[in-house]
Order: sequence, then C-alpha cells, then structure tokens
Amino acid sequence: MTDIDLRPEEFAEAAADVIAAAHAGDFRNAAQTLAEAGLCGVCAAEEAGGLGLGIEFALPIVAEAGRQRLQWPLLETILVAKALGSSPLAAELCSGARAATWALQGHLEEQWAGHARHAAQSDWVLVARKAGGAALLEVASIKLQSDDALDPEYPQTWLSLEGAKVLAEIDADTFARLKRDGQVLIASLVNGAAEGALSTTAAYMTTRIQFGRPLSAKQAVRHTLARMRLLQEASEASILRLLRQDEYGAVRSAQPVLAHAIASSAFILEKAIQLHGGMGFTWELPLHYALREIRKFDAAFGSGELAGQVGQEFIQSV
Amino acid sequence: MQQEQHPALKAAAEGPAAYRAYAREWLRGHLPEHMRADSLEYRTPTLEESSAWEASMYDAGLVGMTWPKVYGGLGLTLREHLMVNKEVGALPMPESVSSIGKELAGPIIQTVGTEEQKQLFLPRILSIKDYWCQGFSEPDAGSDLARLRTKAVQEGDTWRINGQKIWTSGAAKAHYCLLLTRTGTVEDKHRGLLMFAVPMDTPGIRVVPIKSIDGKESFAEVFFDDVVVPDSARLGAPDEGWSAAIRVLSIERATNRMYRAWRFECELRQLIAACKSDPELSKLLNDGHYQRRIGEVVGEISALKGLVERTVNQMVNGEQVGARGSLIKLFWSECHQAFSGLALSLVSHVTPRSSPLAQRARQAFTTAYLYARAETIYAGTSEVQMDIIAQRIMDLGK
Repeated sequence: MTDIDLRPEEFAEAAADVIAAAHAGDFRNAAQTLAEAGLCGVCAAEEAGGLGLGIEFALPIVAEAGRQRLQWPLLETILVAKALGSSPLAAELCSGARAATWALQGHLEEQWAGHARHAAQSDWVLVARKAGGAALLEVASIKLQSDDALDPEYPQTWLSLEGAKVLAEIDADTFARLKRDGQVLIASLVNGAAEGALSTTAAYMTTRIQFGRPLSAKQAVRHTLARMRLLQEASEASILRLLRQDEYGAVRSAQPVLAHAIASSAFILEKAIQLHGGMGFTWELPLHYALREIRKFDAAFGSGELAGQVGQEFIQSV
Repeated sequence: MQQEQHPALKAAAEGPAAYRAYAREWLRGHLPEHMRADSLEYRTPTLEESSAWEASMYDAGLVGMTWPKVYGGLGLTLREHLMVNKEVGALPMPESVSSIGKELAGPIIQTVGTEEQKQLFLPRILSIKDYWCQGFSEPDAGSDLARLRTKAVQEGDTWRINGQKIWTSGAAKAHYCLLLTRTGTVEDKHRGLLMFAVPMDTPGIRVVPIKSIDGKESFAEVFFDDVVVPDSARLGAPDEGWSAAIRVLSIERATNRMYRAWRFECELRQLIAACKSDPELSKLLNDGHYQRRIGEVVGEISALKGLVERTVNQMVNGEQVGARGSLIKLFWSECHQAFSGLALSLVSHVTPRSSPLAQRARQAFTTAYLYARAETIYAGTSEVQMDIIAQRIMDLGK
C-alpha cells in the first residue's frame, strides 16, 4: 500500500478488503488492521509514518467505509493525523496505537461539545476553539454523556469539557483547511453509504419475484431506483468536482455539496428501506445502520441548517 | 472568420485561465444592455437582433469551438466548449435562435453528410445565416419514434414526402427542417428511417403555430403535403441517418446547452438581486424557509455542474457517453423546475408598489415557471429518461 503510483480508485479497491477485515474485528483490532494497511495515515506526513498523499486518496477510502458501514472513526483519524503534521501524536494515529474523533459541534471555551462519532472508544477528540483553531483533547479527561435516541448501538455523544487535557493545538488556518477536507470526506462517506444501499436494493429487486415477475420489472420500482441512482451519481460528481480547481485556480466551496449529499443519501436510504418491504423494517437488514449514520451527520450540521447557511451565504454574495 | 490569427485561438493556446477570461471579457463587453434579462432596459430582442448577437459571438470565436476549421469552426476540444459555455451561462443573454442547427443538425451533417452538404450547411449554421428546426415527433410518435408515419417515396432523383410533424420548435422562422421520415411502413418500426435537410420554403409545407402554456407560439404543427425534394437533400442512406441521429442524440442529451447550470446560477442571482431591490421582498430573504430553499438550489446547481464537467472529461478522454445523457437531462430539468417553483413563490409577493426590478422579475420568473413545465417533457420526458436509466445504466431486467 505504499506505491504512490497508484491512482485513488485503485487505492480504494485495495482498501475495500482491509475495511471488510476491520469491520469484522473489535475497535482496537480494527485500528491495527486499518493502520497496518496505511489507511489511518493516508494523508499524514511521511515523517509521522503516513503516506503523505492528497485528500483525493482518502476520498474513495471513506466512501468504501460508508459503503461497508464501517463503525470506526476512520475519517476523523485520517484528518487529525494529517492536521498534526510531523508531531509524534500523528505517528501514534498512523500506527493504530491511538484513534481520534472530531466533535462537529461546540467549542472548548463553551466547555461543551457534541457529535463526535465513537467518542467512548476513541483516545482523542478534536474540538474547535472560539478563536478559530482547534484543540486535541484526551478523551479520558472528559465526561461523556451518551445519547442513544437515534442509535443505541453506536450512540451520539455529548462531551463536558471542564478540566479537559489539551494534547495539541491546531492553528486557525490548518483547522479551516481541515474543516473543508472534513466536509468533502463526510460527503463522500454518506454518498458511499447510499451507493452501497442502492446496489443492495437494485440486486434484491431483480431477484425478488412477485406476481410472476421480478419487482424490478414494475415501473414504480424501476423509476424509484432510477431516481436513487440519479441522486447518487449527481452527488458523487459534485464531490469529485471539489477536488478540482476552476480555470482560475479557485478552491470550490464544499458546503453546498455536503448539504446536497446528506439530503440525497437520506432519500436513497429511506427508499432502499421502503423497497425492501417488511424486511427493510427489520433490525437484521443492516440498512438502518447507514440511515442512522447519515442522520447523525445531518444532526451534527443542524438538521438542514447547512442548506440554510449555504442559502444565506449565496444571498450575501449577490 | 480568419481562423489562424483568431484571438480566441491565441487565448486558447495560452491556457484555460486566459481562454476563459477572453470569453468572459468579450461577452460582458459586447452584450447589449437591452438583451440582458436582469436589466431594467431589457426588452424581448427581435429575431434580427438575436441573430446579429449570435453572429457577432461567432466572429469572436465563441460559437463552433469544436467544429472542424474547414467548416468554419475553431478545431478546439469540448473543454474549450465548456469554458465558453460557463461564461455564456453566467450572463443573462437570450437563448440561441438556432440551437437545433448548432447542436443537432450540424453534428449529424458532420457525421453522415456528403462533402457538398457539409460545405453548404455547416458554415451557415455557425454564422447564423440559416436556422433549423427538428421534424421528429408526430401525433402518434412522441417518445416512440418507431411509430413514425411521415413517408418518403423515391421518384427518380427526387423524394416525395407526405405526413405531419408536431411540437416543432421554431418552425415558423426556420430555413431548414431536419426531417425524419420512413421509406417503408409503420410495421418496419425502426428500419427504413430516412433523414432529410428540407428547405422550409419548399411548396407543400404548411406551418400551423401552437399556442403554448406561456402564451407564446414557440412550436408548431408542420404538414408535408406532396413535398418534393431532390435526392441531394437526403442525409445518409436509409437507416444510416437515423443511426447517426441516435448517436448524436445521446451525446446531445448530455452536452446540449451545456451552460445550463451556470445559467441557473445566474437566474438565481437575478432573482435575489430583484428581491434585494425592494424593501418588502428583501425581508423574505431573511426568512429561514427561503434561505434553506435557496441553499438547496445552490446544492443542486453544484451537482449539475459536477455531472456536466464529469461527462466532458469522459468524452475528452474518449469514453462513450452512452445512456448517461439521460442522467443529465433528468437532473437539469427537475432542478430547474424546482428553482422556478422557488422563484414563483418569491415573485408572487410583488405588488404594483414593488420596485421596478422586482416587477420585471415577476414577469420574467412567472413565465419561466410556466415554461419550465415543458422542460421535463421535451427531448424525452422524465418518465422516458427514468426508463433509460433503469434499463441501460442500471441493467434492470423487465
């Protein structure tokens, strides 16, 4: 996995097997599996044991994690390891000795944060600072409050930050870049989850026979699947566009893309569950895990607030 | 056009930033104020004014970027075509008077036309000397062209054509019709289809305008009663022209009016500027409901740009577009309908006391909302596009 001549999509193909293996193990074993394959440090500095690759290499990896519904903070660990530069802390993330998550809401100064995936299992958590940067905190020094309303198996977590131990500081410029990278990767993760659900559903619809024909022969079903595919493809295309600058070299805003990706993937998951009929409503069929994951990200960005912010910014730009 | 010394080619040689800047500066510097849909000086341009504007764009090297130099084009790639379209979309300018000529007839003639036909038709399409209309749909053959009935019978060196076309946009002003006929019977379905370039002033052609939902007469029924054309009007052999048309249509569905996403963004800016010009309407822009809907439209525009740019990259890299054009058609048409719904809900708050710009926006966006009903119908309805996606992209058996 150290051949940097690989293209991102080839890297992702190799990553798929690794993520499947990580999915089967416990949290610590997963860390080792992912790290040994170079996934945790894909974007981290080579001095820290990372591969020093661009965010375009992380993109298909997190999409694959979404597709396989990996319950591990891979996206966050990749980003925090990158932000820490050549720090020894980055090396601990690259090696799989530690795992990091990211509180998508709250500030250290408020002593309150939330929406950090897998916070209880993670070693460190990144929390924004009011002034614009961020601080990496030791999870063991923080009081966690689990919120299992949306997901009892992988609950959301609230963090009381009084007395939190700060391990490292991230400056404002680095954190601003990290936030954009985070939006790009989250969009890719939820789109990957949608792509996986669509693929599963389309395959099922072609084999499930009712009234003497496969369900995929029914126009209502075909059109629903076509619409799901349309939204998934459109979302994917807009995410990939974020990796390219325009003709003048300007960096594109990730917010509209993320808002669209979350809304589209939620639609696709809801329809995937619907098309599975009674089976879709069961715990056994794992589609609900993906829906919960998408809704957790949606909640972290204010449940539709993101689109409102995009609208506000566009209005101000006129 | 003096091609070798053309400033557009010089700009293209300097790289993407220089080329896009050239297109941007020329368009912004030359579009007459009264043709800008966001201007208080706007008035609907006459056909002559629109033609003159497009002809000047051609002279500036901003039309026919990908067409061969020998036929009046610039011999550039789809990438340059996209760059110009981004700038065309970013300005609220009139739609082309002959997009059928530039985006359908021209590519088909390039594929199956004789050298004489190429020399005759192509330069005149680019320089907007000839407008074209598309004679495909019939009363019994909308999406299903296998039911086409218009018949062409060979009589020595001529062809006698009888039949009826419908939903023919721009028929009243067109100089030529890209006409699809059949040489056999309806039972032949897709076999024996033959394509012609028929001058619209040929005796026996009768155009009956149809009033559309927006109150305009932008399309028509066209009757062909014993219309006789020379064999030189034929585009390709039987079946050949139609096969080429199928290929061109699949590409055209993905690439035509490539500026749409940038134009939607331009329209959204125009809408917001109009609201900001009025104290009452500007309050709506502080409403979270409208902010969210505007944000959703921005996200959809961004996704549409992604789809278009990805398709262009694929085509430049020599990949087949295939049925993927259906994804773009379905997405842009529904995206624009959603936008027009948002626009209507905002401009419906305009009163006679509102600002002049807001009143102008009310007129423009109400019409746009009504016209947008057509967008999910023409060029293959949404239902047809979803069938194509299910069948040919997702491989869902029936």
